[in-house]
Amino acid sequence: MSLLARVVEAQGGDVAVAAVEGEVDSSNVREVGQRLRALLTNRSTELVVDLTGTTYIDSAGINLLFELAGELTDRQQRLQLVVPASTPVLRMLTIAGLTEAVATHDTRAAALAPPG
Amino acid sequence: MIADMPNPSAPDEHAPLADRQRLAALERITDAALSSLSIDQLLRELLYRISDILGSDTAAILLLDESGRLLHARAAKGIEEEVEQGVKIPVGRGFAGRIAAERRAIFIEDVDHADILNPILREKGIRSLLGVPLLVEQRVLGVLHIGSLVPRSFTAGEAALLQLAADRAAIAIEHATLYEQRQLAEQLQRRLLPTDLPATAGLQLASRYLPASQESLGGDWYDAFAIGSGQVIVAIGDVVGHGIPAAAVMAQLRTALRAYAVEGHAPGEVLELVNRLMTGLGPRAMTTLAYAAIDSERAALELVVAGHPPPLLIPAAGEPSFLEAAAGMPLGVSELARYRAQTFAFEPGATLLLYTDGLVETRSEPIDAGLKRLRELAVGNGGVEALCARIVSRLVPSRRHDDVAMLAARVEPVPEQLSGSWPAERNVLAGVRQMLRRWLLTRGATADEIYDIVVACQEACANAVEHAYRPGRHSFELDATYDGGCVRVTIRDQGRWRPPRGTHRGRGVMMMRGLMDSVDIEHTDEGTTVVLERMLEAKAA
Repeated sequence: MSLLARVVEAQGGDVAVAAVEGEVDSSNVREVGQRLRALLTNRSTELVVDLTGTTYIDSAGINLLFELAGELTDRQQRLQLVVPASTPVLRMLTIAGLTEAVATHDTRAAALAPPG
Repeated sequence: MIADMPNPSAPDEHAPLADRQRLAALERITDAALSSLSIDQLLRELLYRISDILGSDTAAILLLDESGRLLHARAAKGIEEEVEQGVKIPVGRGFAGRIAAERRAIFIEDVDHADILNPILREKGIRSLLGVPLLVEQRVLGVLHIGSLVPRSFTAGEAALLQLAADRAAIAIEHATLYEQRQLAEQLQRRLLPTDLPATAGLQLASRYLPASQESLGGDWYDAFAIGSGQVIVAIGDVVGHGIPAAAVMAQLRTALRAYAVEGHAPGEVLELVNRLMTGLGPRAMTTLAYAAIDSERAALELVVAGHPPPLLIPAAGEPSFLEAAAGMPLGVSELARYRAQTFAFEPGATLLLYTDGLVETRSEPIDAGLKRLRELAVGNGGVEALCARIVSRLVPSRRHDDVAMLAARVEPVPEQLSGSWPAERNVLAGVRQMLRRWLLTRGATADEIYDIVVACQEACANAVEHAYRPGRHSFELDATYDGGCVRVTIRDQGRWRPPRGTHRGRGVMMMRGLMDSVDIEHTDEGTTVVLERMLEAKAA
């Protein structure tokens, strides 16, 4: 994988959790996507992508997240994002309208908390 | 039976004429023609000459391996299978093994009944064998033996001749081996140095590696590479030992260092992890190291030193100074060693010079004098190539007893206006981002403004890359100006942007519009020009 970013798998199983650290752009977005998709199994119900350590994201990365959300929905699975408040990354996701389409949480704990 | 040769005396004027002729022929064993041969060619040539002089049917040379416990068949005449089958004889056992262990000539008159380990000798029908050790300064290099297919009683004179031939051959073998090892070590070492220093926007790099003039090579080594965070790592070290063993340690060091750095470990941690790895490799894996993580965006560098001379910092204006970081022990000495990084300002226009002790230490002079001379030389505002060239020509003697390596990194001053051209390839985008960030920082943009403007510019650059679909080499240009509080970035390419297709097409343009005050996109037959503008808050207020 290119040196720009790495995908750190934190948890497998039904709820897959992975952190994307570093910079995501069109040069490495395909690899990042492959890493994230590889975490999903037939039993997966959910994928949590933690963008806390993401230092750069533009439309290339945002398109990937839109695509992932669509793929997961088609399979009755769910994508959730972790993005700390008032960060540039959250601003980008908001401008692109991704926060409207995908559940976004401040912290990983909030993303993993049982609904209700 | 095995007969020991009773104190063979050297042939003298009383020896039969044949012996004296043979002695003259021996002179040819180390003539000039042999010096240009590779070790395998040399051994083969020696065997042919020796068996010719002594009239033997077979001849073989076995050389001791690095462990000093096994003899390997390296060259053979008449019994080529020995080499082809990779025959190995333990020292102390069998015919050749006993010669090496006892360092004396052994004669076997009747092979059938003797203690022979190597079945090839018997299968070939060799009846008599005479072998002598190959000695250089009392060290055993191997064994030379000749054989006869008919029973033959070698005379004491013949044994002495063979020993004389062996003595000459041993010297030739020793020279050829040292030469070959040096060649190999130098090739290895050069391969371990980066072929291309990373081309990073805003950082100039130059390096030199000058091997020692002697037969054995030192263990100097350096590396430079970019890591994901936008930092560039520069490192230089001196591995204990020399030649191939040092190059092997170097290879491990290089891999470990890169792996840990890329994993995102802080400089102090990288050294501690590498140190732990190297102490585990055994007592021979030791090295000094100076390791710096350069962050040109923040105009700072983090430095960790492990038993290495202090790097020199040459500011854009003013006196150069050595960066006296708290030096830890060399790597590989103690598992308990701790390494702490120290941060130093690294302003635009400044140069960091890493070097090895060969540059400042000579046999005739203490290291302080060398450091002083280096500091005096390292002035002036020329580029890093010129700096390295000047230092080499003034400080490095053409005959030197140690390796010299150096690596210079200079932070380019940030220009008033940005202007450049890049190949339309995805992997240049990160470098363009970094350059833009530095430039915006010096224009007084806030962190949020920098992020927004960088993303907007990247969208335009990424489009230029995406649409470079026509055959041929493509490039895009980027110009950035700052005037009256307004940042204006122009991105030009020669491609025709395709109309947005699919759900995600057009999101880039949407992002640009969301992030900038004005976005102007103009398509012509020559290509596409995007002009992005944004007022900076600090100036607009």
